[in-house]
Amino acid sequence: MTCPYLDYREASGDDSFETARAYCTVAERFVQPMRADICNDRYDLDHEAHCEIYREHEDGTESSGDDS
Amino acid sequence: MSYDAYLGGEPVIITAALTGGVHGKEANPNIPETPEEIGRAAADAEAAGASVVHLHARKPNGERAFSTERFQAITDEVRARTDDIIVQHSTGGTGAPLEVRRQPLRTDPAPEMASLDMGPLNRYDHLTSENTRGMVDSLHDEMVERGIKPELEVFNDGHLNETHQLLDRRSLADPVYATLIFGSGTLTRPRPRNFLNAIDNLPEGARFNTLAFGRHQLPFAAMGMLFGGHVRVGLEDNVYYRRGELAESNAQLVERVADLASLLGREVATTREAREILGLESQR
Ligand code: SF4
Repeated sequence: MTCPYLDYREASGDDSFETARAYCTVAERFVQPMRADICNDRYDLDHEAHCEIYREHEDGTESSGDDS
Repeated sequence: MSYDAYLGGEPVIITAALTGGVHGKEANPNIPETPEEIGRAAADAEAAGASVVHLHARKPNGERAFSTERFQAITDEVRARTDDIIVQHSTGGTGAPLEVRRQPLRTDPAPEMASLDMGPLNRYDHLTSENTRGMVDSLHDEMVERGIKPELEVFNDGHLNETHQLLDRRSLADPVYATLIFGSGTLTRPRPRNFLNAIDNLPEGARFNTLAFGRHQLPFAAMGMLFGGHVRVGLEDNVYYRRGELAESNAQLVERVADLASLLGREVATTREAREILGLESQR
């Protein structure tokens, strides 16, 4: 199941794209393409297990959501 | 490979890693993502001095794609737009199962080279790209069946052990070609002494390629060239030209290391010379 915080948007703030891209409504920014596979639970990936932004949001703690 | 090899003047192979699969246009809008953009970027990189392009595939929205069909569309564009560049497909894929990661090897024609990750790599806070030995062997064996030369991606010193162990399990055609990777996280710390240690611990006769992420890309390319190795640059590994200034293109990064090679007295390898060094037979 896709993460409930995932949205697809063509623009946000100063960023805009021709094709709608994965946007995290918790971190309030576009996410890296590799992270988008986690958001979508593709392949062997699962947002509940693998995304620290989701996990920390659900725990009620802050996340840096650093995509590095 | 050594400082003597540098003095001996073997041409330097420049690999351009054009797009990758981790970050995309959200990090630098100049990253090519569509087959056409990747094809144009390959042509510009070739004109700037690259003899190898390292390719990943993406969907129209920039997300990762692994299917043979998507790699076919990209490799067709690259081959149509370039003169003679060596095509190298990635088989990397954090979180993707083996059957998915085999797909880039199955284009027609097969890529001349493909990357082979030598072991695990942590991603984000709760994810590891596993790259088990079984997976490495399976990908390697399919590469051999299809006449594809593996480019061994050595993320850290433990992967140097894995490289030696792969040579115990499998017989690889000469020369073994390993990319030494420096950066943060699971990668070898980007320090000159670690670079020297890594090249000292390569298998006898191996040739190496030098890859460092972000601001380490240029200094490690310089070290790679001084110690007789080859270099990889491109927007997959580094989105900046200099601190605070996004790179305009892959070609801009290739051109800079080509200029550096010539300042250091190393010729930039033509595609023909690169094939000779790597032991490839021309497909083009
Ligand atoms: S980044 Fe994490 S929290 Fe945000 S949409 Fe993706 S999986 Fe959900």
